[in-house]
Parts: sequence; structure tokens; C-alpha cells
Amino acid sequence: MRIRELLAPDRTRYNLEGVSKKRLFDQVAQLASSSRPELDEQEVFDALVARERLGSTGIGEGIAIPHCRLPSCLQPVGLLIRLEEPIDFDSVDGRPVDLVFVLLVPESNPEHHLRTLSHLAALFNEPEYREALRQSNSTEALYRNAVDSETELQLTS
Amino acid sequence: MEHLNLLLLLGAGLLFTGLLLGTLSTRIGIPSLLVFLVLGMLAGEDGVGGIAFQDFELGFLISNLALAVILLDGGLRTRLDAFRVGLRPALTLATLGVVLTAMFTGAFATWLLGVDWRLGLLLGGIVGSTDAAAVFNVLKSSGLRLNERVASTLEIESGLNDPMAIFITVLLIEILMYPEISWGPGVLLQLLQQFGIGALVGVLLGGLLAELMLRVRSNEGLHALLLCAGGATLFAITNLAGGSGFLAVYLAGLIAGNRRKGTSDNVLRAMDSMAWLAQSVMFLLLGLLVTPSDLVHSLLPGLAIALFLMLVARPAAVWLSLLPFAFNPSERTFISWTGLRGAVPIVLAVFPLLAGVEETMLLFNITFVVVLTSLLLQGSTVGWFARRLHVGLPPAAAPLNATAVEGADDRYLAQFVVEPGSRAEGKHLDEIIPGQARAVSLVRGRQLVEPEEDSVIRAGDHILWLCDHASQEQLGEWFLATTTALRRYYGDFTVRATVKVSDVALTYGLTDLPPELMHLTLDELFRNRRRGRPVVGDTVTLGQGLRLRVRALDNDHVSLVGIRLPKK
Repeated sequence: MRIRELLAPDRTRYNLEGVSKKRLFDQVAQLASSSRPELDEQEVFDALVARERLGSTGIGEGIAIPHCRLPSCLQPVGLLIRLEEPIDFDSVDGRPVDLVFVLLVPESNPEHHLRTLSHLAALFNEPEYREALRQSNSTEALYRNAVDSETELQLTS
Repeated sequence: MEHLNLLLLLGAGLLFTGLLLGTLSTRIGIPSLLVFLVLGMLAGEDGVGGIAFQDFELGFLISNLALAVILLDGGLRTRLDAFRVGLRPALTLATLGVVLTAMFTGAFATWLLGVDWRLGLLLGGIVGSTDAAAVFNVLKSSGLRLNERVASTLEIESGLNDPMAIFITVLLIEILMYPEISWGPGVLLQLLQQFGIGALVGVLLGGLLAELMLRVRSNEGLHALLLCAGGATLFAITNLAGGSGFLAVYLAGLIAGNRRKGTSDNVLRAMDSMAWLAQSVMFLLLGLLVTPSDLVHSLLPGLAIALFLMLVARPAAVWLSLLPFAFNPSERTFISWTGLRGAVPIVLAVFPLLAGVEETMLLFNITFVVVLTSLLLQGSTVGWFARRLHVGLPPAAAPLNATAVEGADDRYLAQFVVEPGSRAEGKHLDEIIPGQARAVSLVRGRQLVEPEEDSVIRAGDHILWLCDHASQEQLGEWFLATTTALRRYYGDFTVRATVKVSDVALTYGLTDLPPELMHLTLDELFRNRRRGRPVVGDTVTLGQGLRLRVRALDNDHVSLVGIRLPKK
């Protein structure tokens, strides 16, 4: 599943400020449930925290991809957040995180969602893609650069 | 006088050329042993040198001495830690494995050559043991890191299997020379004596030698010489007492090397040159000793026996010996293929010659062909095999130099260079905190910079760390441009190993897992699968193509597990 099918402008945030991991998930949950009313804020928050308890979703290079399955989720939902200040995420490379892509998926069809998650990780591991997102200086630019990316085209082709 | 100088020129010139070519051999992936052997043959009676060297007794003496030094060096470099994962499988390979290999090869040789079965079996025994130096030489030069279980098994096996092969050879020579000798308990007793006395003397005198080395204050070069002389003495004493000198000297090295948690690396470096000297001289001499034109007659049977040994005897012996242990099929295949033959078989082939067994020139020549084939064929493909079979770990940087801190246990000063594109580049010094490591100095553009916690690391920086052995290994992963290799190897996400399988199953929607696995933690999962201590790189595939791989261990327990998601 491509980024444009997951993301929406109202689930993209540029320069979210002054947060900790916990505060970040709080805001993610709010954002998710206001964009997708079927999602319960508390449920999203709890599921993300539960996943983080297994081990950090920080994949290195300042990127985190928090993800979880939710019973109330009807279709895969993505949220993209650029943090004003990098926060400690306990990543494998110890580097603080400033780009966060959250993936919430339904409980059905897990194989399909695993592949989506794998695609996201591969995409964010491309230096050009990360660079483009880091250079975006507004929510609109961030969204545009995320969904219209040559890198993703090359990756999926 | 002129004669003497001519002799000197010949010997020194050969050694010089051999060593020079040997330094190149690592680049082309051919074991340096082969270079020496071929050079010796070229200098010999049929080659350009035309030196007719046939003094088998001198060859035998020097080879024994050289082998003792090589085994001592091997022991010094083996960490006792490695014994925890590798000892039992290695011991089985070194005993049962060698016997099986000798029996299979012996039966084949008897049939092929149409000789007495005792002679065939003798040949099997001669080519029965593997050569550690050859294996690690090749692996090191191909830049591969093996997973700990495979590495320590191969390492310890090749240290321990020489006494067994020697024993079989000596026993069969006795049977051939004195056919009336009775089998039965006497043989077993002799085996026990060889191993028992060898182990006893090795441990006792090795301990003494180690204590002595700690008390003596001298420079490293002298230390290495002392070790060598001591090792050779111990070797001779053990042989005189009726034990296996090879086993004793290996054990002595092991004890001396682990006396203060790793011999100072400077001593090891000095030892390195002793081992090189021993190897090069021995192989040059063995190359000189053989008459290449005689080899022609033995070429075809030798090749057939070599191929049988590599493709049937060794794999079968490895498979059977490793049955009770937790190796996966690709690890078994790799161990089978890394049965490189080296110096020991050639030296052993001189044994029957000196004892006066008939038809032994045939044995010597065939052994020579077998060793050449093995070095050439296996030696040049070991790296490729490791990659194909995925038994290698992602590459890590080796420190430029590492020195043990005197007076402290397990503390080293290790210097690393930061490669462009490595994980460390652009990070703050304090972001790299692998366990017990602290940056003590930073060299940038030939200038010494005071390392601050927030110093940003640049490519080309030299960083000196104070660390223990375990963190030195981990540090290696930071300074090489291998982020992609690491990710491909371990997967994108990591989870703690205290997590339960059921949690992972729930998070990723894995449905078809056996219920008995669900209540296990990931650490227990790996432990169960492997029936023993897991090592970094162990893999378990759960449902839907989700692959778990051990990423880090902490006190023998898995601490971090990488998750690789299924690709499209």
C-alpha cells in the first residue's frame, strides 16, 4: 500500500513542538480520532504504548514508525509528524527521532499490513526520501513531498 | 665461505619471496600456505631452483617444532568464552569426527588403490585432521565474521583434532609394522594415555608457564620468544612422557592466553610473527621435500581421494558427529566444507616414511595431492560459501590497534577510524554507548582533540576507546559503512527478548502458531530451538514470513531480537 493511500493532509503535522514520547502518542491519538471518528482516542494511545513496550519502533537515522492493529480500525491509516525538536526514542542507533510515521491497521488481513509496514520501513530507509521530508517547511509541503515522491515510485516499480 | 653464503642466499631468498607473496595471497583469497608450498616445489628438484632436498628427518623435526608453535599460537588466541558454546561439538568432531573421516576415507582408498586395508586406513588417518590456520587465514582475508557457534566450533576442532589424527596414524603404523600386536584394551589404554598425559602436562605446565609469564617483566618480543621456547620444551616433555605433545602445547597456549582474560595484544602480535615464521619455513620445506614429478603418478588417485574426502567423508562425519547439537543445515554444510587440510597431514605422512613402512612414498604423494586440492578448492571458496549459506554476520570494523590495560581485567584501549557513511558519522560521542566503553581521545586531521560528550563525530576521525572485550566487538559495528547491511541482516524493527511470543503474535497478527510456543519469552524460544546457548545471528521464522534474529546477548541471555518483515 502506497503512502498516498495511507496519508491525508489532516493527518500530517509539521513542527510539532515540545513533546516526549508519551505526549507524542497522545497527540497522535487525538489526530487519528478526529480524522477518523471510528477510532477511539484512548484505544489508539494504549495500543501504541503497548507496542512500544515490546521494543522501540525507532528504526534509526532519526526515524520512528510506531504501528499497531486495532479492532475498530476499518482501513489502514497513516499519520506523518515532523517534530520541531528531536526526542529520545530509544532507537537501535541511539539517535533521537524527528520524523514519525504512525501506521494503524485493522485486525483483518495481517499479511497485507505486514507488507505495508515493510514498504514504509524500506521507504524511510532511503536517504533521499528522508531528506525531502526534512527540508519541507510547512505541513502542506511535508504532505506533498511524502505522497509525490520519486523514491517511492522507484521503490515500488 | 662462499658456499655458506650461497646457502644463506638461497634460504633467505626463498623465505623473503614466500613472505612477500604471502602478503599478497590474502588479497587474492588463496591460503598463504599454498603459496609457500608451491614456492618450495618450484625451488625443488623439478622446478627452477633445482634443489634436491630429500632429508625427511630434518623435515620432520622442523615440521614438529613448527606445528608446536602454530598450535601454541592457536591456543593463545582462543578465548575460554568460546569453549562455552563450542567445546562439546568441537570435541565430538575432533574425536568421533576424525575417526569417522579416517574410516570412510580409508575404506575408499583401500578400494581405489587396491592396497592392504591397514595401509588405506593409515592414509585415512593421515588426512583426518583439519587445519585451523588455513581456515582462519581465508576467513579473515575475505572480511567475514562467522557466527560465534560456528567460529568457535571450527577453531576448537582444529586445535583438538590433531592429537587424534596423530594417534590414529601412530597406531596404524604400529599395526603395520608389528601385525601380531593385539587389539583390545591395550589400544584404548594407549589412547587414554596420549590424551590423559597430554591434557595433564598441558594444564599443569601450561599454568606454570602462564604464571611465569605474568611475573617476568620484559618486552613483548622477548615474551613471545619465551612462550615459544617454553611451549617447545613442554611439547618435548609430554612426548617423552608418552602423551600427546600437540594437545599439551595447545592447552598450554589456551591457559597462558586466558590467564589474565586475554594475553596482551602486543604479545599476540609478536607471537603472530613467530607463527608466520613457523608456517612459512615448514611449508617451504615440505614443498622442497616432495618431488613434483612423482606426484604425477599419484595425481588421479589423489584427486579422487581428495574429492571423496571433501564431498562424502567429511560431510558424513560432520553430519553424524553434530547430530546431538543445535546446528542448522547451512551451518552443518559450512562446517563440512571448511575441513581444510594443511600442515598436519603432510607431517603425518612423513611418520610412516621414517618408521620404514612399505609403499609410503605413495602415501606421502597422495597426501600431498589431497592437501593441495583441499587448499586450492576449499580455501578459495570458503568465503563464497559463508556468504551463500548465510553463516556470516554483517561486517564490523576491526580496531586499528587494541592494547590490554595493564593491571586491569578485561580492559582495552582500542582505536577505530570512522568510515564515511558509517552509523557513527555525524553523531555525538555520547550517543555511542555500547556497554562499558568510554572515548578517551579523538584525533582529527593529525590533531588531538579533547573528546567532549557532545563532540560531533566526522568521517576520518580516529577515536581511542577504553572498553571491555564485549563492547569492543559492538563498537566495530559503528564505524563501518554498513547500516544497510545491518538492517538487511537483522531487520527493521527490534524487540526486547523478555517479550512473550504471544505479544509478538498479537501485534503482528500471527495466527497459525503452535499454542505451546505462545507462553514462551523470545529468549526461551531461541533457547528451546537451539537446545543450548543462543548466539548472535540465530534465526527463528514465525508465521507469515516474519523472521526473528538474535541481535544482542547479555550474560548468556538474548537481550535484543531483530524482526524482519515479509517482503512483497
